[in-house]
Amino acid sequence: MAVRVSLPKLCFTSRMSGLLDEAAGLMDGHIDEARVRGDDFDEVRDRNPERRHKERRSRPRPEQAENINDGDVNSAPGRAGDQSAEWLNDQEELRYGAQHVIKLFVPVSLCMLVVVSTISSIGFYSKKDGIYLVYTPFHETSPLASTKVWNALANAGILMVVIIIMTIGLILLYKYRCYMVIHGWLILSSFILLFIFSYLYLEECLRAYNIALDHITAVLLLWNFGVMGMICIHWVGPLRLQQAYLIFVAALMALVFIKYLPEWTTWVVLGVISIWDLVAVLTPNGPLRILVETAQERNENIFPALIYSSTVVYSIVGTANNETTGSSSGVQMDSPGDTESGFVPSWREEASEREAARRRAMDEEEVQIRPRNSSQNDVANELGLGDGEHLGDDQQRRQPAGRSPFRIREDEERGVKLGLGDFIFYSVLVGKASSYGDWNTTFACFVAILIGLCLTLLLLAVLKKALPALPISITFGLIFYFASTLLVAPFSDSLASHQVFI
Amino acid sequence: MDLSKVKDDRKLEICRWYYKGGWAFLPFLWAVNFVWFYKDAFQRPPFEEQKQIRGYVIFSGIGALIWSIALTTWIIIFQKYRVEWGSVGDELTFLIPSGSL
Repeated sequence: MAVRVSLPKLCFTSRMSGLLDEAAGLMDGHIDEARVRGDDFDEVRDRNPERRHKERRSRPRPEQAENINDGDVNSAPGRAGDQSAEWLNDQEELRYGAQHVIKLFVPVSLCMLVVVSTISSIGFYSKKDGIYLVYTPFHETSPLASTKVWNALANAGILMVVIIIMTIGLILLYKYRCYMVIHGWLILSSFILLFIFSYLYLEECLRAYNIALDHITAVLLLWNFGVMGMICIHWVGPLRLQQAYLIFVAALMALVFIKYLPEWTTWVVLGVISIWDLVAVLTPNGPLRILVETAQERNENIFPALIYSSTVVYSIVGTANNETTGSSSGVQMDSPGDTESGFVPSWREEASEREAARRRAMDEEEVQIRPRNSSQNDVANELGLGDGEHLGDDQQRRQPAGRSPFRIREDEERGVKLGLGDFIFYSVLVGKASSYGDWNTTFACFVAILIGLCLTLLLLAVLKKALPALPISITFGLIFYFASTLLVAPFSDSLASHQVFI
Repeated sequence: MDLSKVKDDRKLEICRWYYKGGWAFLPFLWAVNFVWFYKDAFQRPPFEEQKQIRGYVIFSGIGALIWSIALTTWIIIFQKYRVEWGSVGDELTFLIPSGSL
């Protein structure tokens, strides 16, 4: 028995053991019992609507639940088995969450590393030469602190209004299915970043190291770099390369912010944007929440150019109940089967299959709660957009809703997704801290942000819904920054000057 | 995108596309193609499209190699004779390094 109970843990570490587990489950002939247990599960869920959300996540692994139930059948029947299954699921989720944390630590650290090393080696990005973004008309030129403060607040306010308008625009475009416009927008912005900003970056790099380069090589380098980036981000490319490009793009954007935002404005913007993130993701009508929910409804992924996804391959057995949660600026626990970024053609091709499987799993639940006519089709029909594709969907929906608990879905991926915006603002904070040349402060901010990210991911494992990734990290970062520049650095300086060692 | 989940005919399509794209002065595309599909071309049990993929991978690899050799040679020549070429050299230069005293 002990072996059986420990098996489900293993099945998440490798595909093979998942298969072994599956085989064991079949051989033991507990299939029917598992079905009964599964139904029991449903009843429990319906009685506790607020717990439903939680259990939805634990549900996709009927295989696992079954195994634990098998273990418990002899000792404690019914509810006890479910509870222990749930407990084990939570355990496993937390354990799995730890892996996610590491998976996200690496890219976030890399992005910060790029920014910090650029800031400290290339003077161009920390030097203020009187040119600022259009959105920040007040340049904090006055020596008075009060004037600087209102300048910073006004700048941050203007920037926030621009961001809010942009976000709402994006949501409206997404809501009304103007995919072409959104893609055009994203392609244009990544084009600018990959060609123009990398051109500037290359030039400043060469200038900083005083290297001669001819036009031919420069053009060739930029052309290759940019085109490969466009292909990787918007079409198909090796995953690693895509991730690298996304990190680099985020770093470039962060560098632009550091360079072209006035001093105090940067700090105010960081504070304001984390509050905005909180509002946009968590309030019922927050734009990012709407984006996430619409994406869920349509069973789609949010645009690959907006999100970094760490893909962790593992196998899951049973039909997956896909509750995709996420946001363009927030962490997202990705549900199995749709990590492969949004609009890649191959994904599209497989999408209908997956969708059918998902729908079958979801229908079962929704039938009990509300008539399963999701608003998606209504909206689509009203707009006259729901032709071919949706007919196909409907046909698939009407397939017999029998959930086969022993369908193996191999190679499903699951990872945490982090919006590129989060990368950018983390890096802005650390880069800004490093631009004053104090390494203690830089490291303090770096550690603070990673702790914040850890806490966010922990909350993600507990709450299981899309969360804003900025607030905790940025709050910690700001506290650590000001604490270490205003308190720790003077204190250690005076200790050093008096030769006191503690 | 994870290559292990992609079907073989799709792989061939991507590989061919990368190979063709490389002709637009994009040796980086060829290099990526070579590395990305190396396993499929040489280290997998034979499958239907393998022969074609192998061809594209080999040509991409050769192309990338030629490009890198040519580029390295050009850069060496340029760095060596930039000053001697005078005004032509200056015109060719993307960034003229500042001298030191």
